[in-house]
Amino acid sequence: MPPRTRTRTRARGLSAFSIVAFIAAVVLLALFPKFVENPYAVHLMVTFFLAVIMGEAWNLIGGYGGQYSVGHAAYFGIGAYTVLVLLQTNGVAPWWGLLPALALALGVAAIVGSITFRLRGPYFVLASIAVAEIFRLVALNWKSATNGAEGILLSGVPPIVIGGTEIVNFSSKVPFYYMGLALAVLTVLVTVWFQGSKLGYYLQAIREDQDAANSLGIPLTFYKNIALMISAFFTAWAGALYGLYVGFIDPQTAVGLDISVQIVLTAIIGGIGTVFGPVVGAAILVALSEALRSNAITDLLVAGGLVSETSSIGIFLKDHLSHAHMLIYGFLVAIVILFMPDGVLGAVNNAARRRRARAAAGGAR
Amino acid sequence: MTRLPLVVLAALLLAPSTAFAQVKIGVINSMTGPQAPIGENLTNGIKLAEEDLKAKGISVQLVWEDDTGKPQVGLSAMDKLATRDRVAGVVGAYTSAVTNAVAKKAEEYKVPLVNPVASKEEITRQGYKYVFRVSATTGDYASILLDMATTLGKPKTIAILSENTDFGVSGAKSAKAYAEKKGIKVVFEEAYSPGSPDYRSTLVKVKGSNPDIMFMVSYVADAITLMRQSRELQLTPMAFLGAGAGFSTAQFASEKNISNSVFSSTQWTPDVSWKGSKAFGDRYQKRFGKEPTYHAANAYTAMMIMGEVASKAAGDREKVAAGLRAGNWDGLFGPVKFEDFDGYQNQNKHQMLVEQVQDGKYATVWPPALQSGKPIWPFPGWK
Amino acid sequence: MTIFLQSLLSGILIGGAYALIGVGLTIIFGVMRIINFAHGDLVMLGMYASYFLFTLGNVDPFVSIVFVFPLLFLFGAILQKTVINRVLNALPQNQILLTIGIGLILSNTMMLLFTSDYRIISTSYSSGSFRLGEISVSTPLLLSFGITGLVTAILYWFLLKTDTGQAIRATAQDRDAAQLMGVNVKRMSVLATGLGAGLAAVAGALISPTYYIFPQVGQPFTLKAFVIVVLGGMGSVMGATVGGIIIGATESLAGAYISSGLKDLVVYVLFLLILLFKPAGLFGKSRV
Repeated sequence: MPPRTRTRTRARGLSAFSIVAFIAAVVLLALFPKFVENPYAVHLMVTFFLAVIMGEAWNLIGGYGGQYSVGHAAYFGIGAYTVLVLLQTNGVAPWWGLLPALALALGVAAIVGSITFRLRGPYFVLASIAVAEIFRLVALNWKSATNGAEGILLSGVPPIVIGGTEIVNFSSKVPFYYMGLALAVLTVLVTVWFQGSKLGYYLQAIREDQDAANSLGIPLTFYKNIALMISAFFTAWAGALYGLYVGFIDPQTAVGLDISVQIVLTAIIGGIGTVFGPVVGAAILVALSEALRSNAITDLLVAGGLVSETSSIGIFLKDHLSHAHMLIYGFLVAIVILFMPDGVLGAVNNAARRRRARAAAGGAR
Repeated sequence: MTRLPLVVLAALLLAPSTAFAQVKIGVINSMTGPQAPIGENLTNGIKLAEEDLKAKGISVQLVWEDDTGKPQVGLSAMDKLATRDRVAGVVGAYTSAVTNAVAKKAEEYKVPLVNPVASKEEITRQGYKYVFRVSATTGDYASILLDMATTLGKPKTIAILSENTDFGVSGAKSAKAYAEKKGIKVVFEEAYSPGSPDYRSTLVKVKGSNPDIMFMVSYVADAITLMRQSRELQLTPMAFLGAGAGFSTAQFASEKNISNSVFSSTQWTPDVSWKGSKAFGDRYQKRFGKEPTYHAANAYTAMMIMGEVASKAAGDREKVAAGLRAGNWDGLFGPVKFEDFDGYQNQNKHQMLVEQVQDGKYATVWPPALQSGKPIWPFPGWK
Repeated sequence: MTIFLQSLLSGILIGGAYALIGVGLTIIFGVMRIINFAHGDLVMLGMYASYFLFTLGNVDPFVSIVFVFPLLFLFGAILQKTVINRVLNALPQNQILLTIGIGLILSNTMMLLFTSDYRIISTSYSSGSFRLGEISVSTPLLLSFGITGLVTAILYWFLLKTDTGQAIRATAQDRDAAQLMGVNVKRMSVLATGLGAGLAAVAGALISPTYYIFPQVGQPFTLKAFVIVVLGGMGSVMGATVGGIIIGATESLAGAYISSGLKDLVVYVLFLLILLFKPAGLFGKSRV
């Protein structure tokens, strides 16, 4: 991640500086696998990209539109299941399988949207959960198509062959890295476009005051639907990428409620309704959960000589810190909601703005 | 707290002497998340193996990785172990879902993986050369029970009730296939969603189908709920058969009212007549304050084998894999050898056991050669 | 016919406990317009409280509710005063996320303290039953249903006959108007959260002798409570009571006649249908 002080400029729309910074970041990321061959690092980056894609996608409808869907696992699952079922049982290459997967996600989003967008606030949230749970239960019980609880184990992703020569071989992580990066960049660009588009303005108007937006003649359900469809489209794409990358999906890991919650948290913690909020949220969550899971924090303290591995504190941390990652998530959410309602990025921006305002006031005096 | 600086000093002084020429072995296990209660048994079994290896003069450095029960996290752990920690081999994982994913990676990295307990059949049927499995497979859970049932009685019908998870569904599938092979008619078959407080409507349907034997695949707590409600509804088949998991825990056995005379297939019991079983059970009990499940013995065995082979091979992955393929072992888990048969590769042909709750305790009742008590057949009725 | 009656009966009996969980949720929603995603975790806390009272103090789970209720009432009240109160005027979405966060904190704190081991309460009556013709009636379920009835009756009396109860109802009906009428709205919010938490915990204690306890046990109850509350009408105590029983019976009958693997599916579809066609629920909107 770029240093925090710089993020303020990036988040305030797209100044020349933020465009340059963004392009620089993308170039650096594109070169990353050339220098870092360690698959573990590459893997963490793929995880990060997936989180960015889903966070950005959710941000369109949840952040700009204020429609908090806690059911995006449904679209993620549609993407993952369609591509993997077609590949594993029918031998359809994933780049062809992606087309029906994305079309299905668009169709389902249109139907779900036209049904549930009649509901508001908490009712909409509950309905979105119910829809996602219905999809999970269908995946669990429609055994002939999805192999039910046993899940789908991919025997391999076929290489891309053009004219008899192998172009891309998927046995390494690097192709997934670039696909993740490309899709993440695409979702960020779509968000930039969205933010300045008529659609984006309408949605923000809907978020601020539905009734007022309605009385201005904005067809609420129509625009919410369009935003949800775009959001579902990219979420399903992320699901397909995830399924191909991990090579195994089952109803819990591809359509479970925790996926929906995770997506929302990524956006909220970073800061909703901004272009780079979900990127920040994804960076925080992926880094934090991996550091806690692998006990890296304790190892760091030990290596730094702050805590001895054999001391009671060291043993306590080693035994408990990795178990506490969901607890720390919980606290993080509570802290963000209570003290930084605009997310981490928002809080940083606000602090910077205040400092600037103070400096300006001081200068005027 | 005041001793802290001293301890730090001691650790610094001791560190170089313990840290050199050690073989690194990775462990992937579900230490947090919904599978953690069973994962704990694996952790404990591996800890005991670490001590025993040390006693044999084999010092291994274990790198613990938590998969939280999720395949993608398991992948992340495997990447880290193979490329950052550069381990000689890996022991893990617990669930079939995670093991599936991890095994594929192990094969890619050519890192020998010894799997302790995941029972999904496909895992060792992929043609992998670096994946070894100590554990028996799902089908074995059903076949040993039905073999016993057809020897002890003449059941003609069976009801199969399983939880709607990977473990439950694949267990039910192989039970159905084996029952049909044995000429037992399946009169009821259903997969329930686990965790419900009320299975009465399902059980009353089972009762209506009047099966001779009832076969169940369930995790810990559901097993108790199911048996409680079976008692409530006065379900009385010839026998209740449970496929390991929830039916072979000390907690289940201690619920005498509902667990007495229930059979369960298992991979290991503390009172089986394999070398060192009893001592392991006692030691585990003393050390961790609870009875070990078969998971602990499986994990212990897997780690012992991996530790010995890896240290002999001085951490060279190819040599470790060759050592695993060539060797055979005998211990508290019975004879272990990784063989190719029936479409499996590097799969241990493990002798399954049947245990029965008798007066709040498990007795090993099948096969006759290894039994510690006589099976009570048929089900004597509810008290 | 046996299958029908047996399923209906056990469904209704288990629905009693669901109803209590739903009533707690609906009171919190009614007074503060906050959907409490940590509600199932409050049920979980009630279960643990009754477990420890049983194993350490030898208190019968059904008796333990006299301790569990005040304990969790206090907990809920403190939670409201210190945390939830801060988001009363925030976006509903942020309120939801805060309660999701609280739920994560509660369940994971319990996991760190007491591990994720399953706990079982074994009473002499845990699997007891008696026969009524062809069907068998579970003794603990019948007992818990009776206690649920009693608790609900006391609750109705409290809400209808006492001044405080009427103030809570007034707040639920119209927060601003109640404030103008001199009702201490802040105090009512604290009381309502306490009451909701206490009722959830009582339900947990009542389920505990026939179920099992672990830190993540709450989540399915949270989802179930949402369905019940929407079915009955958000904020309606009467609705949640009836809704709980309907959901209990629906689940049980779906288990008997469709498949036990699909009973949740039936419930969620029902839930969506209600949201779409009768979003006010069976008992209107603001009739606490």
